[in-house]
Amino acid sequence: MTQAEIKLCSLLLQEHFGEIVDKIGTHLIRTGSQPLRAIVHDTGTSLDQVKKALCVLIQHNLVTYQIHKRGVVEYEAHCSRILRILRYPRYIYTAKTLYSDTGELIVEELLLNGKMTMSAVVKKVADRLTETMEDGKTMDYSEVSSTFCRLADTHFVQRCPLVPDPPESADAQPPPPAPTLSINEKDMYLVPKLNLVGKGKRRRSSDDDAAGEPRPKRPKQTAESKEPIPDDGIYWQADLDRFHQHFRDQSIVSAVANRMDQTSSEIVRTMLRMSEITTSSCAPFTQPLSSNEIFRSLPVGYNISKQVLDQYLTLLADDPLEFVGKSGDSGGGMYVINLHKALASLAMATLESIVQERFGSRCARIFRLVLRKKHLEQKQVEDFAMIPAKEAKDMLYKLLSENLISLQEIPKTPDHAPSRTFYLYTVNSLSAARMLLRRCYKSIANLIERRQFETKENKRLLEKSQRVEAILASMQATGAEEAQLQEIEEMITAPERQQLEGLKRNVNKLDASEIQVDETIFVLESYTESTMKRA
Amino acid sequence: MAEVKVKAQPPDADPVEIENRIIELCHQFPHGITDQVIQNEMPHIEAQQRAMAINRLLSMGQLDLLRSNTGLLYRIKESQNTGKMKGSDNQEKLVYQIIEDAGNKGIWSRDIRYKSNLPLTEINKILKNLESKKLIKAVKSVAASKKKVYMLYNLQPDRSVTGGAWYSDQDFESEFVEVLNQQCFKFLQSKVELSMEDIETILNTLIYDGKVEMTIIAAKEGTVGSVDGHMKLYRAVSPIIQPTGLVRAPCGLCPVFDDCHEGGEISPSNCIYMTEWLEF
Repeated sequence: MTQAEIKLCSLLLQEHFGEIVDKIGTHLIRTGSQPLRAIVHDTGTSLDQVKKALCVLIQHNLVTYQIHKRGVVEYEAHCSRILRILRYPRYIYTAKTLYSDTGELIVEELLLNGKMTMSAVVKKVADRLTETMEDGKTMDYSEVSSTFCRLADTHFVQRCPLVPDPPESADAQPPPPAPTLSINEKDMYLVPKLNLVGKGKRRRSSDDDAAGEPRPKRPKQTAESKEPIPDDGIYWQADLDRFHQHFRDQSIVSAVANRMDQTSSEIVRTMLRMSEITTSSCAPFTQPLSSNEIFRSLPVGYNISKQVLDQYLTLLADDPLEFVGKSGDSGGGMYVINLHKALASLAMATLESIVQERFGSRCARIFRLVLRKKHLEQKQVEDFAMIPAKEAKDMLYKLLSENLISLQEIPKTPDHAPSRTFYLYTVNSLSAARMLLRRCYKSIANLIERRQFETKENKRLLEKSQRVEAILASMQATGAEEAQLQEIEEMITAPERQQLEGLKRNVNKLDASEIQVDETIFVLESYTESTMKRA
Repeated sequence: MAEVKVKAQPPDADPVEIENRIIELCHQFPHGITDQVIQNEMPHIEAQQRAMAINRLLSMGQLDLLRSNTGLLYRIKESQNTGKMKGSDNQEKLVYQIIEDAGNKGIWSRDIRYKSNLPLTEINKILKNLESKKLIKAVKSVAASKKKVYMLYNLQPDRSVTGGAWYSDQDFESEFVEVLNQQCFKFLQSKVELSMEDIETILNTLIYDGKVEMTIIAAKEGTVGSVDGHMKLYRAVSPIIQPTGLVRAPCGLCPVFDDCHEGGEISPSNCIYMTEWLEF
């Protein structure tokens, strides 16, 4: 947990959950696993508040608990999970592209609430969709349920671990201080058979229409809430790993499209889709797929003959990128996708892009050169890169000072005399990736801080505009005249309006920039994880 | 009364005759003749006379003296050189010989000293002499700019000395390299596959720029550009990712990134780069 990560987590918790949760969460990240008493003591907050804060954090899967020996329950915060909050917009957008608005709202509800039962999700999403629809139309529960089932089938949502049923033999054992949650592999994506019948309800903006029947309605509502929810205890959460797998596949496909052509990228996409369920997310290679299988699974629109497909596969396998490899000849040729190599190439391309933008294209040339040739002497760098000696030296030292390149000493004599030692330049990709990751975290923290600063600067103006809007809304509801509405609107002067516009634009820009930096974080993190697992 | 002794000389004991005979023999055996061969040819000449004739020829520069594992060899020297070396003495000839042997790579003055065992002052005098006679020239090496190598006047310096096509007047022609870089890239973009040998180093720099990729394919011997049964093919490619997200934010390119923290002189709230970027 670097300082940059802790700072960023603290900012995120504060923005999304408030001061107290931020304090507890940051304390847990800094000090690791802690029992309840220790948290209360160290942070100086009351027991009640600590309990509430922990509830919020556990509900959102940011903190987990464990029973240690002697029956003490310890709570642990997961820094990496907190950082995922940055990626929520990307998850929601992916769901939108795959399953349209219904999917988008389902995932949004699940992410914002941490864990929910299926019936609650369906009801809420139906209500929200109904509001956006035209008057008179409503969203049926069954449609939302079917989308939910599809999300579960493709593993984008999963069940949360449950309390296992207590053993039959009543041993009169005292219940453990904290339940141990577990879930069966098979049950993780099993959708309960619910008979959800109903339609979304539109929220009335005024109570006038319902004025005639408030009394009878209220007992009915309470009666409704007393009905037992059919799937009580079965909670669902969004499966972030599956989303990450999807992002990874997307970037591999777009890399192939950039390097080769559309058809090859479609073939790679088909191969990845076939391996979605069969390959675990951290495997270095996908399962071997035979060319016949690939041919059968190609999307309907693509009529390329088997021969052409074979040619494409051979081309992909021979490409210097080495994303696709041939692992055998049965079934017309067995092909695998080299996931680790693909991630490494993407991460290296990211590093090169960063060097290019920061230091210029000649520095980027030197960086790529040392990356490919692994170890080079000063003279060799000059010769290969065809850059005059003085400039090459200058650039190498600049990269050295930024820790993107390092020196390896190979002494010729036991006394390590500088005149009799080889000095080789080399790139340590893992440490360079980690260093840039830290920089990303700090950058996002800076962007968030700037956004908060901009909002604070214009707080007075924002409050004023909010008040004016509220007045306008209420006046419109009561049917005010045009002239009166205009008068209210003019309370905000033109330059103020401009300032508001500018503020909105800036905040959007900063927000968008956070998401873009998060993309870099995704690539670099996937690379470091994949490399650590291999080592 | 002094007696005049007249030595009856054998018919071809005339020194000039001896020399001519030796030269004829040398022409007959252009790879060189040993003393033994001369003796066999002219058995009636005394060793002293033979030696004198050989020395005369050597000093006139018509014969070369070489050492082989069997003994000493005398070889005829190319006739045009004999004109040049008239008036030079032995030492100069020796130095000239050494420089000639160095071919087009040239030889450093210290090496000349080692090979000829002559003192430094002598060497310098001789080198100046030879240079003024336009028999040798000094060429500056690109490896060490202070070092001068000497080679024969009419020879072309080797690539390793002058650095080849990329150097002109011992200075690295960076503009030349840049221009060729761009040209090769444009050329490759229009053609799909191409194999070249001469500008392989320039193509390598394009690879390091990430604009070009190379594959090696097996090719038949005899096709243009094949070396040892392989052929290198180059193809222009586009990068596999767009410029990454980090560099789109001002923090990614900020030079004072490490000094920036909230509440300090440089902080996100008062960052001028961010202000500029937001107004874009």
